[in-house]
Amino acid sequence: MTSRFLLLAVLFCAAPALRAEPYFAVMQGVKCSQCHVNPTGGGMRNTFGEVWSQTALPAQRVDTGEPWTGELSRFLAIGANLRVNANSTDVPHQQNTFSFDTDELRVYLELRAIPDRVSLYVDQKLAPGGSANQEAYGKIWFDNQRFYVKAGQMYLPYGLRLQDDTAFIRQVPGINFTTPDRGVETGLEIGPWSAQLAVSNGTGGGAENDTGKQYSVRVEHVQSVWRAGASFNFNDAASGKRQMQNVFAGLRTGPIAWLAEADYILDDSFTPRRKQGVGLIEANWWYRKGQNFKLTAEYFDPDREVAEDQQTRYSVVWEYTPLQFVQFRVGARIYDGIPQNDLQNRHEYFVQLNGYF
Amino acid sequence: MSYMRSLVLIASCAIAGCAGNGEGLDANGRPLMGGGDGGGGNAALTPDLKSIQDNVFTPICTQCHQGAAAPLGLRLDAASSYAMLVNAPSVEVPALNRVTPGDPDNSYLIQKLEGRAAVGGQMPLGQPPLPAATIAAIRQWITNGAPQAQALTDVMPMQVRAVAPPPGEALSLAQPEILLEASGTLNVATLTPANVVLVRSGGDGSFGDGNDVAMGPVQIEVRSLQPTVIALKLPAGDVFVPDRYRLTLAGHGAQPVRDRDGLPIGDFVLQFSVGGAL
Repeated sequence: MTSRFLLLAVLFCAAPALRAEPYFAVMQGVKCSQCHVNPTGGGMRNTFGEVWSQTALPAQRVDTGEPWTGELSRFLAIGANLRVNANSTDVPHQQNTFSFDTDELRVYLELRAIPDRVSLYVDQKLAPGGSANQEAYGKIWFDNQRFYVKAGQMYLPYGLRLQDDTAFIRQVPGINFTTPDRGVETGLEIGPWSAQLAVSNGTGGGAENDTGKQYSVRVEHVQSVWRAGASFNFNDAASGKRQMQNVFAGLRTGPIAWLAEADYILDDSFTPRRKQGVGLIEANWWYRKGQNFKLTAEYFDPDREVAEDQQTRYSVVWEYTPLQFVQFRVGARIYDGIPQNDLQNRHEYFVQLNGYF
Repeated sequence: MSYMRSLVLIASCAIAGCAGNGEGLDANGRPLMGGGDGGGGNAALTPDLKSIQDNVFTPICTQCHQGAAAPLGLRLDAASSYAMLVNAPSVEVPALNRVTPGDPDNSYLIQKLEGRAAVGGQMPLGQPPLPAATIAAIRQWITNGAPQAQALTDVMPMQVRAVAPPPGEALSLAQPEILLEASGTLNVATLTPANVVLVRSGGDGSFGDGNDVAMGPVQIEVRSLQPTVIALKLPAGDVFVPDRYRLTLAGHGAQPVRDRDGLPIGDFVLQFSVGGAL
């Protein structure tokens, strides 16, 4: 174990960061599956991801001997994430609010019936509120971990899997960490290619109410300094068919990791059909070990047929990871929308403590 | 190619920042004349469903709770909110209705808005909590009995529509009930096994060819009166098997379903499948 840790530490001594954010993968030129149990990213970190997050992410690493890997045995691994916020919100014509919130406490469990081949995975949200299952699926790897099939409740593959579910590209498509779905997913991890196909109920975690299903396809090509991909989603739902497609990309220019995504949505659950557009551009400047400066510009057009209804959101976030397992995030989000809607013009400021384990 | 042009335009706008000036739109971003969804949210919030819809559900909740991707299947657009909420069991805590008329404390909607629900985060998720005055108005609407949006004008004859499953769609085995909403108020005492009839096709997907199977008398649960919303379920112990089904509410014959004025309703027929059967 010690020799493995030393090897990993050497490998990552120059690596800037790791957490469940796509920009880490762009910084490193790796796939999501490099650091996460879930090949599509997010949730529990694998051994590689755990060690990396403790050696490369923090400004200073407190020596604890061997790093925490999450492995209780060859057959059982655990992990957790805690996010606690202090939020201040300024909505025009309303009284300002300031609140402390538990954004989430999640625990992860992976039972490895056959290590690296067959496993059961659970992502359970314990707070806020009571316990709620987010993901619960079984997964089988084939062909030396080049091909997998998983079945159960899971997050669907679509676009950039940002941690921030309030980002337009996460909220508007409705595929995010609050809307796992039940179904089957198969994926390929071959060379620079990563691809997934999922068939699910398409009910956002609710009861199935029709025979139609949701089909999600995501393909990504990953190189050391850039990546590009595309996604397609079709939900044949009783309340109206919905088709989404996007292109997304990542690029590293020196210490800056860029992310971009553009979505185009055709939604027949509206009468008449609505065409929507969503976009995001993000720059992450890893200017010092343990510190990242994030600038994000987002755009949302709720109806391409209606003029002057567009919304934008700009975010500035500073992320500071003083020690392993602990990260502080300080940020501001400025919403800009039509003047007659106060919520579309709110300002949010937050300080977040993120504990990852 | 038009998709690609749209995607490029969207990416450009994300950089350039193109928020709309709202000219000619209501507070929900819909055109003021022709094509609007109705309601703009400009008026002060009052404890009635139309005002709540215009000021809360449409501008805030339907950012997520709308259409095919609605979380937990809960749609809060104007056409769906009443039937989806009033006396409808919540998915997260099925023992609680989303809205129980007259009982805001035990209405799951209020618990979610106030952040004291047993499961999940406070709504609206990722946004500032609703102001206390807004929640108070919703509470008052529930205390008042959670009436429908506007005073109902009974049409002649009274019409019934299916909320779940929608016409032509399948019934969810996870939630095996048929949810119907009348355009006004039915005389629910006239709903009997003689005029509320459920049959299945006998496996061939067609009816009236001699092999139809009559289902046991359905259980009728009245969820609201104005408008009348009823949930129909199979008797205890019976289950839906994969097949094609036909539900009839008869507005003719010796014992028709009648409205509150005693007039027979228009015949209502709903066909749906279970388990993917045609």
